[in-house]
Amino acid sequence: MPGTPLDPAAMARRAAQELFSGAVAALGPGLPRRLPSQLPASGGVWFLADGGAVGIQGPESDTNAVDADGNTVGLLSGGAFTGVVEIAGILRGGHTDLAFLQPAQVAANGDFVHWTTAATPGLFAPGPAVDMAYGSSRVVALMPHQSQQGRSNIVERCGLPVDGAGQIDIIITDVAVMTVGPAGLELLELAPGWTVDEVTAITDAPLTVSSDLKEMTFDVPVLKPPDKIYPTAVDALRDVPEGATINVDGFAGPGGMAHYLMVGLRDLGVKGLKLISNTAGVARVSGFGTPNIIDHSILVENNQVAKATASYPVSPSASRPSAFEEAYKRGETELEVVPQGTLAERLRCGGAGVAAFYTPTGAGTLLAEGKEARTIDGKEYILEMGLRADFCIIRGHKADTLGNVVYKGTSRNFNPVMATTAKITVVEVDEIVAPGQLGPEEIVTPGLYIDRIVVRPSDFSAYL
Amino acid sequence: MTSLAGKERLPREVVAMRVAKELPDGAYVNLGIGIPTLVSSFVPEGRTVFYHSESGILNCGPIAEEGEEDIDLINAGGQYLQSVGGMSFFDSAEAFAMIRGGHVDVTVLGSHQVSATGDLANWMLPQRGVGNVGGAMDLATGARGVIVAMEHTDRNGEPKIVQECTFPLTGKGCVYLIVTDLAVIECDGQGLTLKEVAPGWTPEEVQQLTGAKLTISPDVGEFEL
Amino acid sequence: MASVSESSAVKGKVYPSAQAALEGIFDGASVLVAGWSGRGEPEKLLRGLAGTGVGDLTLICQGAWVQEAGKFGIAELVAGGQVKKMVSPLPFHPETGGPVKDLWQSGKLELEIVPQGVLAERLRAGGAGIGGVFLPTGVGTRFAEGKEVRQFDGKDHVLESALKADFALLRARAADTLGNLVYEGTGRNWNPIMATAAAVTVAEVDLVGEPGSIDPESVITQAIFIDRLVLAD
Repeated sequence: MPGTPLDPAAMARRAAQELFSGAVAALGPGLPRRLPSQLPASGGVWFLADGGAVGIQGPESDTNAVDADGNTVGLLSGGAFTGVVEIAGILRGGHTDLAFLQPAQVAANGDFVHWTTAATPGLFAPGPAVDMAYGSSRVVALMPHQSQQGRSNIVERCGLPVDGAGQIDIIITDVAVMTVGPAGLELLELAPGWTVDEVTAITDAPLTVSSDLKEMTFDVPVLKPPDKIYPTAVDALRDVPEGATINVDGFAGPGGMAHYLMVGLRDLGVKGLKLISNTAGVARVSGFGTPNIIDHSILVENNQVAKATASYPVSPSASRPSAFEEAYKRGETELEVVPQGTLAERLRCGGAGVAAFYTPTGAGTLLAEGKEARTIDGKEYILEMGLRADFCIIRGHKADTLGNVVYKGTSRNFNPVMATTAKITVVEVDEIVAPGQLGPEEIVTPGLYIDRIVVRPSDFSAYL
Repeated sequence: MTSLAGKERLPREVVAMRVAKELPDGAYVNLGIGIPTLVSSFVPEGRTVFYHSESGILNCGPIAEEGEEDIDLINAGGQYLQSVGGMSFFDSAEAFAMIRGGHVDVTVLGSHQVSATGDLANWMLPQRGVGNVGGAMDLATGARGVIVAMEHTDRNGEPKIVQECTFPLTGKGCVYLIVTDLAVIECDGQGLTLKEVAPGWTPEEVQQLTGAKLTISPDVGEFEL
Repeated sequence: MASVSESSAVKGKVYPSAQAALEGIFDGASVLVAGWSGRGEPEKLLRGLAGTGVGDLTLICQGAWVQEAGKFGIAELVAGGQVKKMVSPLPFHPETGGPVKDLWQSGKLELEIVPQGVLAERLRAGGAGIGGVFLPTGVGTRFAEGKEVRQFDGKDHVLESALKADFALLRARAADTLGNLVYEGTGRNWNPIMATAAAVTVAEVDLVGEPGSIDPESVITQAIFIDRLVLAD
């Protein structure tokens, strides 16, 4: 006689074991909503609500945050509100470590049918499940093992149109835990009181039993926010490798430029850098009344720059060339000129998991050469690629310890866009505050994008 | 041409004033660098224009007083701005979504060359071998209307309005109005129509300094300010 | 610079009624409606839309999950028979159903299902002047059928087209008279992206203040995207 199936809270606790400190986790409708209540609100994990919240907690009445099911929930101190398109970017852009979904059916090859699809036969409406499945690094199916009619929800091949092809990595049901591998399903854990034969008997797909078969446990992990604060710019950039691609912000003038981090990068001396930036260092030779300001030129002069991708790479005046222009004319650096809006969009797309896009900007010009041209609705477009980088150094005004950032005035410009595009994003701020000090409506860059935070020292001068 | 070289032309401020007349009430406008920057000083009384800048600000205030500069409040031309109620800040992707998405009504740009079919070439002088495209291509393509405000001829007296651009293009067929220190010229994508001339100048003299054929409008007159 | 309050263009953004704010709506129009599964919908505008009597509408929205007594939302508008088609990621609650489900089942309402993030990105493309985007979402499923699939970095992507509409009906917490908007909590949801993607955008708000009443760092939808404002009841 098999044991009883697990209740939803126990399933959620087992699912929570998949989390790790600093993880970003998307929660689909249904059972996954139960995860936040099983964990303390430590800030050790970011739960996403597809409606536009980062850092949701368990159910709570009278709040202004809703989860995927439209129920009101709490928000972590340090959580942030955002929009649907930004959440889609967080999902698709490789920023989400885990998605928890409730499929109605999962096949041995990782295909799945979401419960909302199965519940609407003839319509097949999965809501956010497709985005969550395709965007997340790891997809957890959290579901009853059998339907209410006693049919297996784990099958060899899905019987309905699928919401994701080969997307599920692990299945946690009310009786077992299985992984999806190239050879099919492997049974890893059994619910207390269940045997391999009993689980196999109610599973409509072949199961390989792990040599390390265990009983499911229900302790939740202790999750802590990662320590993101670095003492100096050099500490925060020490692992920048030779030849790295780096997003560097700075619209052109003195505001919004990570001068302190730039100096750190200069002091480290790492060579062959490929900069992606609005300018290649023109603040010293153009307007703004800032002839001695630190800009990209300090890296160029230190022979660290192999290439610049920029919209405004040189001085407005040919008679006052920048360090970059001189290096370029000597053949020491490469240059890719990109229209400013295309640069911003390529970065946004890179960060939001959009591989490429058609833009009208530059069609029929020199900058369209070598690019696919396409007429859409009678208008000419060219294909541009998303841009990503290894590192990103940006300039914020304030950050909290979780990495949430606010900016100041027009110094926002490329910073929030670039923050989404790099493997490692380092922010230079005037001040670090405790979580909750930056309001959820006020946060511009949610903390999940930020890896390292450095305070610009109060005695640091942005001038040479 | 030499006989016309020394003849008095309109100052930049008057060119800016004439452009300002074209801006509709309530319009969202992006001003480029050079003469276009001056346009905001001449918007007619009673008309409100909202300035957009690629630096990530909408509803720009006037230029800041000396000593009041704030490095976090600039326009795309690198000028410091005053803070005004109703302005908003946003990032570069949003700034260009506004431009490319057709939300900016008019942009006023300077140029090296404009062609008979309204092609714009303003980002690169071939002899320098490198140029700053900045936001010009997005503006040329995305803004609903492109007005060019520039000198009629270059430093060497060569026409900047040409049959076909010889400099690298910024945008094709995007210009609908050219205002220079000599003339106001409409551009319908097929050809150029001379609508107004600077005081003391004849349409024939303007044609002499223009590298493309001008159709003289039957109601051609002096600059209307 | 002329003072803001003198300009007719500025005053013109605040409309006296929903009916007035919907001027120009027509049979067969496509309408973006913000809100989240029945919450945070622009109720006054939806009532106003019902009052105009226009038909054959195409609604693009999250869906109509929640129905509450005394409220007038997308579900109620659809129930009135003015809607021909809904484009949505999840048009009705899969278990509790509602008028959207009933009309769809009786063949009186067409439903087009688009994954949520794909819909968001298509609207952003429409609003930002992008002609099309290659997304990884839905490769190998029915959502990719009939669409171009191309590899980038060894991974399949689906070409999705830009989407724009005739009207957008939004719901915000507060506006200034210029049309700058702020939201509250997840009430933000579809609003900022829909604001960019319609020929005429109308926002229903709780409060309207003078320019300067909203911190310029906090503005979420910039005035350039908003054509008309109406005060909520």
